[in-house]
Amino acid sequence: MRRSSNRKSSSASAAAGSGSTKAASKEFEKIDHLFNVYADKSSAIIDPEGIEQLCSSLEVDYTDVRILMLAWKMKAQKQGFFTLEEWRTGLKALRADSMSKLKKALPELDKEVSRPTDFLDFYSYAFRYCLTEDKQKCIDIESACQLLSLVLGTQFGPQVDKFTEYLKSQSEYKVMNMDQWMGFYRFCNEIPFPSLENYDSDLAWPLILDNFVEWFRENQK
Amino acid sequence: MNSQSQRRKNFKIEAFKHKVELDPKYAERTWKVLEHAIHEIYNNNASRLSFEELYRSAYNMVLHKYGDKLYSGLVATMTAHLNKIAKSVESAQGGLFLEKLNHKWADHNKALQMIRDILMYMDRSYVPTSHKTPVHELGLNLWSDHIIHSPNIQARLQDTLLDLVQRERTGDVINRGLMRNITKMLMDLGSSVYQDDFEKPFLDVSACFYSGESQQFIECCDCGSYLKKAERRLNEEMERVSHYLDAKTEVKITSVVEREMIANHMQRLVHMDNSGLVNMLIDDKYDDLSRMYSLFKRVPEGLSTIRDVMTSYLRERGRVLVTDTERLKDPVEFVQCLLNEKDKHDKIISTAFNNDKTFQNALNSSFEYFINLNNRSPEFISLYLDDKLRKGLKGASEEEVEVVLDKVMMLFRYLQEKDVFEKYYKQHLAKRLLSGKTVSDDAERSMIVKLKTECGYQFTSKLEGMFTDMKTSEDTMLDFYAKQSAELGDGPTLAVQILTTGSWPTQPTAACNLPPEILTVCEKFRTYYLGTHSGRRLTWQTNMGTADIKATFGKGHKHELNVSTYQMCVLMLFNSADGLTYREIEQATEVPALDLKRCLQSLACVKGKNVLRKEPMSKDISEEDVFYFNDKFTSKFVKVKIGTVVAQKESEPEKQETRQRVEEDRKPQIEAAIVRIMKSRRVLDHNSIVAEVTKQLQSRFLPNPVVIKKRIESLIEREFLERDKADRKLYRYLA
Repeated sequence: MRRSSNRKSSSASAAAGSGSTKAASKEFEKIDHLFNVYADKSSAIIDPEGIEQLCSSLEVDYTDVRILMLAWKMKAQKQGFFTLEEWRTGLKALRADSMSKLKKALPELDKEVSRPTDFLDFYSYAFRYCLTEDKQKCIDIESACQLLSLVLGTQFGPQVDKFTEYLKSQSEYKVMNMDQWMGFYRFCNEIPFPSLENYDSDLAWPLILDNFVEWFRENQK
Repeated sequence: MNSQSQRRKNFKIEAFKHKVELDPKYAERTWKVLEHAIHEIYNNNASRLSFEELYRSAYNMVLHKYGDKLYSGLVATMTAHLNKIAKSVESAQGGLFLEKLNHKWADHNKALQMIRDILMYMDRSYVPTSHKTPVHELGLNLWSDHIIHSPNIQARLQDTLLDLVQRERTGDVINRGLMRNITKMLMDLGSSVYQDDFEKPFLDVSACFYSGESQQFIECCDCGSYLKKAERRLNEEMERVSHYLDAKTEVKITSVVEREMIANHMQRLVHMDNSGLVNMLIDDKYDDLSRMYSLFKRVPEGLSTIRDVMTSYLRERGRVLVTDTERLKDPVEFVQCLLNEKDKHDKIISTAFNNDKTFQNALNSSFEYFINLNNRSPEFISLYLDDKLRKGLKGASEEEVEVVLDKVMMLFRYLQEKDVFEKYYKQHLAKRLLSGKTVSDDAERSMIVKLKTECGYQFTSKLEGMFTDMKTSEDTMLDFYAKQSAELGDGPTLAVQILTTGSWPTQPTAACNLPPEILTVCEKFRTYYLGTHSGRRLTWQTNMGTADIKATFGKGHKHELNVSTYQMCVLMLFNSADGLTYREIEQATEVPALDLKRCLQSLACVKGKNVLRKEPMSKDISEEDVFYFNDKFTSKFVKVKIGTVVAQKESEPEKQETRQRVEEDRKPQIEAAIVRIMKSRRVLDHNSIVAEVTKQLQSRFLPNPVVIKKRIESLIEREFLERDKADRKLYRYLA
């Protein structure tokens, strides 16, 4: 219904220690310290460059889905940026205050996300994370395809492959909205693939999926 | 008796307390008298008897408790007589058999009557208490047992009767009176006697007979003749019943005939080559159809058989009509054809099918089916109306006009895409109004009223706006000339029609360069108008106007040319030049290329209207052509009409464009319907929304379920609706 609250990143909290209590800063001392390693000195936020460095420290690829998971854990608002508040949230939840602990936490994070209830949240978060502009409701097909592979590629590989193939081949839809994004996940869970036997286009599946199923069945022949 | 007792006793006379025995011999003697009487009665010697004496004798016997003897005596005597009669009947030869039987029966009845009269006291007192059969009934039963069911008579009787019927069926004349008497006799003996001894075998034999006959007929007759024969047989049987059978037999024998002659051959009759139902419909064979209707009505599934065959024939015929590419070249002819078909079948239903409502419905559903097979039907119906309102109804009386319009309305009702019709009607009406080419204002208004009655105010409000504009423009022009006449002087006379943008069909305005004289007077009008109507904006629709120009040709021939505005702009150029190239004309007038080519074509390439001469003389306009004022132009008419803005069948690209606009217009209507429905229902599943939306919009068009789905998704995206979190089939309204 309503998208998550405003995306303008709060900058005030980045100021190191000035507004926080002594107790809080003690708790977050190590975490903050780690933050400052990667944050940009002037803006006091981790920007894309900082994230790249973070990735190499973690020994994961920039495009790895685990970074997305990390962002999810942090409840990061803006793609490519982590604020101090978000950093604190994430690392505290992961119980990590050093690089080594953070590295170890990643596989755990992977498992956590895979739990069905958490995964649903993660999945919709992934979509929202890509909406960079204010009032933006859709992401372009190209990005959507990449995101799908990243997020669902391991769990529902065949469906994702076929769906992205379809999306790339058609020209009717140039963007994808949240409803269609969520619809696809439901589709993967409820409809057996590749038989698609209980798919009924009279039910309230998004039209894009009706068209996909039709295309798929045509191509099967 | 104590006279002093409190209760007063009634004075009684008591009967003898001792039995009075009748002498048995007396009983025997009395019986003999009666027995003798019965004999005499049966021998037709009753006149010599004394009724009073016999009655008294019988009375005494019963009174003295000799009822049993009397009764059993009666039975024995009667039986003996009947056996004699049986032999007599049996011995009758050939044709006399029935006569004898009839004769004897009459006698028996007479005798029985008398006997009953004599024995009336016994009938009334002894019979009920001893639970015996009353005399009359006894007489009938005995007759049944000993005569009718006598082994030598029973079968013979049945055979004789059935044989007579058979002979009559094959054309012989029989003694109907005799037959009647016999069947009445059987009825009198009891309906089970009638049924078992006559009726059942009669029905069986008839079934066989008609089964055979129908088989024979159907091999050699065509449908019409067969039906005539069946009807004749049916009537014959009914007549037979009325003459010599019991009335209750009628319904049974008619159902036998119906079953054998009609029901069993229904399919074959209806589908008979060259003479079946379809041929009858095509050839307007009212009599045959009427006969088929009334005969088939009698049998189960009869009418529905006719109806089904008629429906599939109509659908196929209609389908062929609306897909016939030759016919589709002339829209007016096409619609006229449809109207003719409707008229023809209406007549058949009213004349031959008794105005049966179910048939009318079948006709309607067939028309609805095939009219919508061709998606240009709405356009064509509008063109037909255009033709009629423009010239077809010229000189017609008011009733004739109403008749034509009502018939077209019937076709209109069948359309599923009424919104497409509305679009075309608006376009065509606009052209008619602006060119002043309408046969009668009353006819136009009548049509609007009919559309309003059918589709509601919304449908016609804009159309009515168009009429209002025309009237207002007239008034404006009068006022303009009244106020401005001094200033206008010798300038060209202007007639302006001011169109309210929302009411008239949207046309892309392509401005062109008007000749200076025209421009001046136009500007004067603009000033005048905006002076009296502030806050409005006027745009000249140069693609819709007309002009009358006086032209002088060689040898001083003067003509008045009626042309379109574009044509006027082109022609006026030739006041200052004798010859101009295409490009020069294009540049000077700024008329869009497609229109300019059409315009030049009508000015230079049409025989009888070639006020311009073109080099080269080809039919088509190319950009290299040069045009000259045609000095040598002649026409026998002083007034020559060149420009016409007549409504025409749209070209393929125009049609696509209109359809696209219609589709665009439908989207907000569908969305509005969805929002309306969801606002009142709050939560609804997908299929229900589709059904509700379809229902709400059906008076205008049939929405495509896929389009509805798309609109729903668009509304979800814009956060008017959401999917229910638990049940994904449901949608929820978001306030």
